[in-house]
Amino acid sequence: MDRVILRRLELLNQLSLTETQKDEVIAFFADRENDAKVLENIDTSNVERMVHVMPVMTVVREDIPSQPFSRDDLQKGAPETDEGYWCVPRVVE
Amino acid sequence: MIYTAKKDVNSACKIVAEDMLLTTDMPTAAGSKMLDGYMSLLEAEVLTILKDKGYGVCGKADVGEFAIDLLGETSYNGANTADGKLLNSSSEILKANEADAVIALDVNGTTRRAAAQNGLVSVKPTYGTVSRYGTVPVACSGETVSVMAKDAKTCRKVLDDIAGHDDKDGTSLPESEIAKKADAKEIKRIAIINDMMADVSDDVKANIDSAVAKLDVEVVNIDSSVIASSRPAWNILMSAELCNNVSRYDGVKYGHRAEKFSGIDELYTNSRTEAFGDLLKTAIIFGSETLSTENYMKVYDKALRTRRVIVEEFAKIFAEFDAVMIPACSKAFYTEDDVKADKYVSYKENFYTAPASITGLPAVVAGGVQLIGKAFSENALLELASKI
Repeated sequence: MDRVILRRLELLNQLSLTETQKDEVIAFFADRENDAKVLENIDTSNVERMVHVMPVMTVVREDIPSQPFSRDDLQKGAPETDEGYWCVPRVVE
Repeated sequence: MIYTAKKDVNSACKIVAEDMLLTTDMPTAAGSKMLDGYMSLLEAEVLTILKDKGYGVCGKADVGEFAIDLLGETSYNGANTADGKLLNSSSEILKANEADAVIALDVNGTTRRAAAQNGLVSVKPTYGTVSRYGTVPVACSGETVSVMAKDAKTCRKVLDDIAGHDDKDGTSLPESEIAKKADAKEIKRIAIINDMMADVSDDVKANIDSAVAKLDVEVVNIDSSVIASSRPAWNILMSAELCNNVSRYDGVKYGHRAEKFSGIDELYTNSRTEAFGDLLKTAIIFGSETLSTENYMKVYDKALRTRRVIVEEFAKIFAEFDAVMIPACSKAFYTEDDVKADKYVSYKENFYTAPASITGLPAVVAGGVQLIGKAFSENALLELASKI
């Protein structure tokens, strides 16, 4: 991990770290490299990935009509709204 | 802050929900400034079930930001401390007899560490036996709704009441699977994994010795470096899932929005930067890196394959033993200095809780020790825990 990769990850995740935080994150990644060495010792060459620990199946059911949340209810916690719309800064110049 | 919200209820059995469970009559913040004051339109299914069965939900307990820390110290409300020791909100509520049980979301072992350090009992059930609908999602493939109480009997009763299939939760198991927990056999042979005992304090070793002395079971010490490798694999999976789950918080439709921004990108970045704490930001960056093109196969895919190796290792152990006993934490209590010295200490201390998190196996904490059993053996584990 270096500052160039870290900057890319900051941009990707919409975060902006202070210089102190960047140093801390780089130190954190150095620790994780030791973890990687632990995993290297586990032989997974003929092992399938395990995404779900329990047998999870696609849920199939009939469509059941129900009352959706109203726009007013959904916008009660919104930072800024105007006549039923969520407001954000201009996105097209 | 111990409670983020309180309310009067008229019920013989009072429940407190950790602030990772959505409620419609009290705000839910998940310990994050991002969700400060957030009022949900839906309620966690487990709380609806409990209310229908006569329980009263009398408050919300504060948690660390998205429940990935040690005991709740990363809450935006600040850490709870006494004489330099870190306190956990839920265990303080139970010790003060203000509730009969706490319903928690065990993401990274907080509930188990809190129970172990406070002489309480907790049960993290088999993954898929209790609905996660209406919980704040963090590490969906391993987190489970859990119960903490003063004794095993109360944990058993509450767990029996909340376990069951839920159509609204895509990871909820069918009733036929969940019903297997009624068939759990009595625990007669226990394995203690030596690899998990090397770095624990004398107090924790004494808890293990005390538990062994109280139980009328055969106890054998075994080695397993595979089980001890759960922590790095879980850290990768947890962070990757967390990174995806918290990407929804952008300050547009709900949650914190920065006051100053010059365009949409700055709105997102400033809102997330202001609202998220250091541990969460680092977890997001780490999770994102594990999923990058360069690292996906080397890191994330490796962790998924390691998960299967760990599951198979447990299966081998359970061919000979009925349960595994390991610590839930390395020491009897944590101090503010522990976190000042290493703000990422929860990524190390979850060495003891990662094995059950990554495998979805049930884990019961009692008398300061952790018992992990076969899938659906939580009733047998709780029966054993009642004797510790």
